[in-house]
Amino acid sequence: MSIASDIIRGHTDTIILRHLAEKDSYGYEINKSIQEKTNNQYELKEATLYTAFRRLEKANLITSYWGDEATGARRRYYSITKMGLAMYEQNKEDWEKAKILIDKLISYGGAVND
Amino acid sequence: MINKMKDYVNKLFEDAPQTKKVLDLKDELTADLIEKYNDLLADGKSEEEAYNLVISGIGDIDDLISQIEGSAENGRVSIDDSTERKKSALLVAAAVALYILSVVPVILADAVLGFSGDIGIVLMFIFIAAATGLLVYRGASKPRYIKADETLVEEFKEWKSRKSKKQSVRNAISSAFWTSVVAIYLVASFWFGIWSYSWLIFIIAAAINQVVKAILELKEEEI
Repeated sequence: MSIASDIIRGHTDTIILRHLAEKDSYGYEINKSIQEKTNNQYELKEATLYTAFRRLEKANLITSYWGDEATGARRRYYSITKMGLAMYEQNKEDWEKAKILIDKLISYGGAVND
Repeated sequence: MINKMKDYVNKLFEDAPQTKKVLDLKDELTADLIEKYNDLLADGKSEEEAYNLVISGIGDIDDLISQIEGSAENGRVSIDDSTERKKSALLVAAAVALYILSVVPVILADAVLGFSGDIGIVLMFIFIAAATGLLVYRGASKPRYIKADETLVEEFKEWKSRKSKKQSVRNAISSAFWTSVVAIYLVASFWFGIWSYSWLIFIIAAAINQVVKAILELKEEEI
């Protein structure tokens, strides 16, 4: 689990961008959807999540605004920019390529035994 | 339990500078944690369990805070530094210009304007006084190192900065002193034609210099 999460951590930005490409969202909602999608096998620390938000915002890949909840707690919503969308597409493409290469490099296939 | 959670968050942010960015982060974190806590309760966790899960899920927030604050502070310091350096350079340049110009009235007064030579010399000393004043002001007005936190390293840096400040005041006074001595030597020698024994001024000046230094050092040791 810990090694797997190390590998996933390198893709935190892409995971967040992917979520925001669907709709504007806030920290807990994004984390909850990550948990649901992974059947509770993976969850981000709040610190990791907010660090990624600040980094993405600084790079103009996302923007943020405060929601107007009546409940009192202020939710901070994030929304993806055009640049963020482009970055998401790029990252996804890179990952697809890397996935194929890594598979070739580390898994035993029939080719080895032939 | 929610209050206990808020207390915990307050503790996390206790030592952080209370800037807008930091307070925003705190609000954001609080809102998310409360929602997570309520969700965990809805899932059937006990209050205690939910609280522990929420707190352990936060991770290391200190890095994030210092990252937010670090970028802001570094920016400020570098702006201060460059304006301070410019000011310092300007003062030195003005002082040097005044030293050079100080002989002009002496030359002009006699040769061109036909004033009495005394006025020229008086003007020269006024120039020198102004230039020396600028150098001393520059040495004394250098910003003091402001302690970032209470550690030995910071104290050492402050001590070093104080020491080098003192050193630069001393250097400024010393260079002004010797320039004045040379000026007096040249003017007096030309004016009164006393080349044969006017060089004695350097020995006298060196003696004065040493005496003043010794007195200052004695005083410092008393403190």
